[in-house]
Amino acid sequence: MFDCEVNVAKSCTELTQILIEPSARILAGGTDILPGMRKNSIGKPITLIDVSQLNELSYIREHEGQIDIGALTTHSKLITSPLLLQHAPALIDACASIGSTQTRNRGTLGGNLCNASPAADSVPPLLCLEAVVTLSSHDNQRQVPLSDFIIGPGRTCLKQGEYLDHITFAVPQKHTGTSFMKLGRRNGMSIAVVSTSVLLRLDQQGNIEYARVAFGSAAPTPICSHHAEAALTGKTPSAQLFSEAAQAMRTDINPIDDLRASREYRLHSAGVLLQRALQTAWHQAEMDLR
Amino acid sequence: MNKLTVHFTLNQQSIRLETLAARSLLDVLREDFALTGAKDSCGGDGECGACTILLDGEAVNACLVLISQVEGRHVLTIEGLTPDGSLHPIQNAYVQAGAIQCGYCTPGMVMATKALLDHTPQPDETQIREALAGNLCRCTGYTKIVQAVQFAATELHHDN
Ligand SMILES: Cc1cc2nc3c(=O)[nH]c(=O)nc-3n(C[C@H](O)[C@H](O)[C@H](O)COP(=O)(O)OP(=O)(O)OC[C@H]3O[C@@H](n4cnc5c(N)ncnc54)[C@H](O)[C@@H]3O)c2cc1C
Ligand code: FES
Ligand code: FES
Repeated sequence: MFDCEVNVAKSCTELTQILIEPSARILAGGTDILPGMRKNSIGKPITLIDVSQLNELSYIREHEGQIDIGALTTHSKLITSPLLLQHAPALIDACASIGSTQTRNRGTLGGNLCNASPAADSVPPLLCLEAVVTLSSHDNQRQVPLSDFIIGPGRTCLKQGEYLDHITFAVPQKHTGTSFMKLGRRNGMSIAVVSTSVLLRLDQQGNIEYARVAFGSAAPTPICSHHAEAALTGKTPSAQLFSEAAQAMRTDINPIDDLRASREYRLHSAGVLLQRALQTAWHQAEMDLR
Repeated sequence: MNKLTVHFTLNQQSIRLETLAARSLLDVLREDFALTGAKDSCGGDGECGACTILLDGEAVNACLVLISQVEGRHVLTIEGLTPDGSLHPIQNAYVQAGAIQCGYCTPGMVMATKALLDHTPQPDETQIREALAGNLCRCTGYTKIVQAVQFAATELHHDN
């Protein structure tokens, strides 16, 4: 038995009305919030808002060069999407690495973002895609870049009465490669010790026209490494360049010691992962003639 | 704590249940329906898979489903695998392969196996290990469980 009230939202309009209540917390897939309540790590009182009947918040759509993903889309649905396989394979790799089949069948993209863990695997690839989140409340809708949405461990800029409606990013241009790599304690079912995602776009000559580099579990929130991006932009891809980017990245990340790994180990493996991720994204970009 | 009424299908039967709302599907199955196949082994953290059941045909951890979330849905537990309670070919395969020791993980393993074989009738070893990654077994070392799934896939293939 959980120590809470439960309210079922029948429509998005009803959801915004119930959310005004200070104790209201959305229950999406429940894979973060229910274990959290069992561990008493969530402040009381709690009124859970069951949103399982809001099918209209589960979708993956393309329109006018943009991809929209509804907040309640599960990881299982996301990783089998042909649209995302074509345009955002790194996001698929990231979501496929989350928990087990059982976790992915319930856990949602919106829940992963709103839970705001430094290790949230969907965030680094979405940062590379410069995703924007749309937040709704009973009288307002606003858009916030994902990089401003997560403001600290477990903290977002969601205001009382607001929910995350959907996530949007532009379809990447031609000659773009993306990748995601995660180091865990074992192969399956593990939270990232450190993770990285990369997006590279090449010009006609094969030089890097545009670069995005992001890390998970390397700072209080998933973050971009602007120094690594600057080191890559305008240059000719090579192993030497990638190792310079791995050096440049060290000024941006600030990992901690915890039970999964030490700071030093994280710093070192972030560099190794980044070089591999850059190689993969580079090869993909070269093949990407969509 | 508030109450609510939930309508769902449980092992092919229509159910109307009035209950306290803040309960997991796992607690309802075990306490209200005496369906004790699904088990709690990790305290409801979603880590062990011993509580795996099928919700609309997909493997989920019943400890992480709130009872209100099954409104209008189909729940299948290991007790509902066959209409007459005889052993299902997957259960038979686990017995034949020697994939059961203490048996605590078995109902969850079998239900995760069913979801896998329903979607992917001829899985390779990587697909099997991936599909069962959320089910812990402290006894068998997994080798025989993988064999059981391969055996079940072959059996079910011949049946069709
Ligand atoms: C065994 C296990 C392994 C896991 N492994 C990983 C892993 O490897 N990588 C990883 O990143 N995560 C992992 N997780 C965490 C979790 O599965 C994901 O973060 C998941 O995406 C959370 O989604 P949910 O729908 O279950 O969220 P919920 O638990 O339902 O919600 C999480 C939080 O977000 C809020 N919320 C949810 N949706 C909205 C919305 N639309 N608007 C506003 N607020 C909202 C809730 O109120 C709650 O505070 C794991 C979890 C388990 C149990
Ligand atoms: S009891 Fe362990 S996953 Fe549900
Ligand atoms: S047989 Fe004992 S836990 Fe699997």
